[in-house]
Amino acid sequence: MMARASNIKNRLNKGDGAWAYGFIAIALVVYALFTAYPVISALLISFQEYRPLGSSFNGIDNYASIFKSELFGKALWNTLVYTVLTVPVALILSFGVAIMIMPLKKWAQTTFKAIYYLPAVASGVALSVVWLWIYDPMPGGILNQLIGLLGIENQNWLGSSSTSMFSLVLMSWLSSHGTSIIIYVAALLGIDESYYEAAEIDGATFWQKMWHIVIPCLKPTTLFLLVTGVIGSFQVFQNAYLMTGGGPDHSTTMVGLLIFDTAFKYFEFGKAAAQSLILALIIGIIAFIQFKFLGKDVEY
Amino acid sequence: MKRKTKFAATVLALMLSVSALSACGSSNNNNAGPSNSPSPSASTGTEGEAAKDTITALLPPVSPKYQENFKQMEADFNKLYPNLTLKIEPASWEDMTQKLDTQVNAGSPPDLAFIGSDGISKYAQMGMLLDIKGLVTPEMAADFDEAPLEYMKNGDGLYGMPAYMEVHAIGGNKQMLEQANIDWKKVQQQGWTYEEFREAIKAGVVTENGKTRYGFVFATAGVASKDYLSILVKNAGMPSPFTKDHKYSYTSKNYLEVLKAIRQMIDDGSMPKELSSVDAGKRWNMFLTGQTMITGKGLAVFENSANQNNKKIEANDGSAVADSIAVDYLVLPVPSFAGQEAVSHAVVDGYVAFRGKKEPTEEHKANIVKAAYFLASGQVAATTNADLFAAHITDSAREIAKTMESTRNPDNIAAVEKMLEHAAPARPDIPVELGAKAIKVENEVVIPKLQALLAGEISPEDMYAAVKKAAIDAFGADGVVQE
Repeated sequence: MMARASNIKNRLNKGDGAWAYGFIAIALVVYALFTAYPVISALLISFQEYRPLGSSFNGIDNYASIFKSELFGKALWNTLVYTVLTVPVALILSFGVAIMIMPLKKWAQTTFKAIYYLPAVASGVALSVVWLWIYDPMPGGILNQLIGLLGIENQNWLGSSSTSMFSLVLMSWLSSHGTSIIIYVAALLGIDESYYEAAEIDGATFWQKMWHIVIPCLKPTTLFLLVTGVIGSFQVFQNAYLMTGGGPDHSTTMVGLLIFDTAFKYFEFGKAAAQSLILALIIGIIAFIQFKFLGKDVEY
Repeated sequence: MKRKTKFAATVLALMLSVSALSACGSSNNNNAGPSNSPSPSASTGTEGEAAKDTITALLPPVSPKYQENFKQMEADFNKLYPNLTLKIEPASWEDMTQKLDTQVNAGSPPDLAFIGSDGISKYAQMGMLLDIKGLVTPEMAADFDEAPLEYMKNGDGLYGMPAYMEVHAIGGNKQMLEQANIDWKKVQQQGWTYEEFREAIKAGVVTENGKTRYGFVFATAGVASKDYLSILVKNAGMPSPFTKDHKYSYTSKNYLEVLKAIRQMIDDGSMPKELSSVDAGKRWNMFLTGQTMITGKGLAVFENSANQNNKKIEANDGSAVADSIAVDYLVLPVPSFAGQEAVSHAVVDGYVAFRGKKEPTEEHKANIVKAAYFLASGQVAATTNADLFAAHITDSAREIAKTMESTRNPDNIAAVEKMLEHAAPARPDIPVELGAKAIKVENEVVIPKLQALLAGEISPEDMYAAVKKAAIDAFGADGVVQE
């Protein structure tokens, strides 16, 4: 045992081990400062009535008030609806686009990938301004002019409960699939050509190849995108904040926006910390379920 | 070579770690450091041997040209107090609150921030405001008009100095008002009831070539969301969310009458059915492009904006608002409801003093007051309020303003003065806890329900019931007006 410890010490002193630990330590310090510390701090704050000039512990009052709050329930429901409507469609769209650009020449693939990735590079605020313009409620608004061609009366897209959630969902459907497309394309390129050749020899159709080769081979990728998509969707904040402010009548208040409002409108940081930890727990449970039931036969 | 690279990498890594750690330990700029240690001369106006000090101020674009003058303001302040430095951090109106809130919650706010007096209770509740009552000299206090200075108080404390006192009015297009046979001069001087107003805006509706010009458009989306209702209810016997005996007043029957009126004006076709999505920018655009006869909310400075645009139209300047028409902007009072007296919604904004986690030194506090007074009076106030078309509220600014040329419409000046006579008084007696609860009810229930009411999704009665329930939950059945 002593000899082994001495051996490790020698390797640390003489070899690259010391350097490796040094560099790992930097990452560890950054992680500790900017991830672990805020999470632990949030946990502590969630049991406090937080004040900049002196907080006081209030037990589980913050958690109790959240479970009694109708608004938190509504925000959770809105977040769930948004997730169910956006994540699967985003996966299908990304997969479809990836399949369509796969047969193209490399330069064409690159061009399309760049085009689809562009919204991810653009500022969310700038995109929101464009969408606000599209959703202009007056008859002269772009979307209203389009539906006007079909003889439909102009709609108050963001100002009516019946259309506000759909407007945010539509915005999600039509933007920001670039990352998923690139990941799908990379995964498609990783499928061995021999599978397709064997299928062609057996006379398989396009859809048969898709069902029996592509979809099973892309299952790890799909699971990854599904889990990260659901996590991202549950944390959605920007769209609701910039487009509707959560309204009308809280019809687009998501949990992320509610946490922000609790913290920065009402200065109830303890309650906001508790809300964010409950959200993290919910996301963790959903991710666990996804891995449990969808990740059984997935190998990485 | 390899050793050198490793050495350089290590040094870089250490620097990164140290800088990351040091960022966590940054000190609060409200606390006087070695350069601003206490000095016996702090509370006096003379700066003979006073220690050096820096006062920080977070300031939005108070008037169109305000932020252009920051360098000059800093230089003038330093000239007046050679040992003091005024460090101004500019902010847009959009991110002002968020920037300030972040700094306040981190325990390191600026020494001064330009905010509305209605924000005082919010920060006072957190204990982050600096009470300057004992630091303001009698000469400083005497320079201000009494009414606006009252707005800077909460309980026994004085937390800042007012920059201006304005009224939230509505604004009309003179030509369109005359076309609709509305005696605007009489309205300016005598006001109008809701019933008269309703008929007037009906008369202002014109439909031509399938396009509708509305009688009245008020911004209700975005940052303007809480203005509409809070301005209207002041004229319905509820000048404050709390009665004099501190009962929440928005459970009064008159509140329901205002909600019914809001719906009526849309149902009449006098206001657009898409009103819930009309923000401040949109409705101003609608006003300048002739899509509405009257707009709200209106501030005196809008006359200036309209005049500027008129000049651009006349000069064929391409930067004029697209499709805009020449507009003579008229200040109009908000109508009164349910037979109640009209009470103008007074807006008092100013320079509010903050403190950090540690108690600032007495000298630093005195310096903050000097900076607040410098910004709220004299040349700075005269220039800013002239740019804003706002009335002066200090004698020192009035004196300087005498030499300034004004292009304001005299009818509008008279109308604003009339409304200021009926301005809602300050309510420093409202406890901060009640104020904070009222803000929460407003944000969580009133604004969302108002959006639904404007969109035609709920009835005025539904909204009234929801507000009443939330108020009783927050203040108790005995804490609200029961009628």
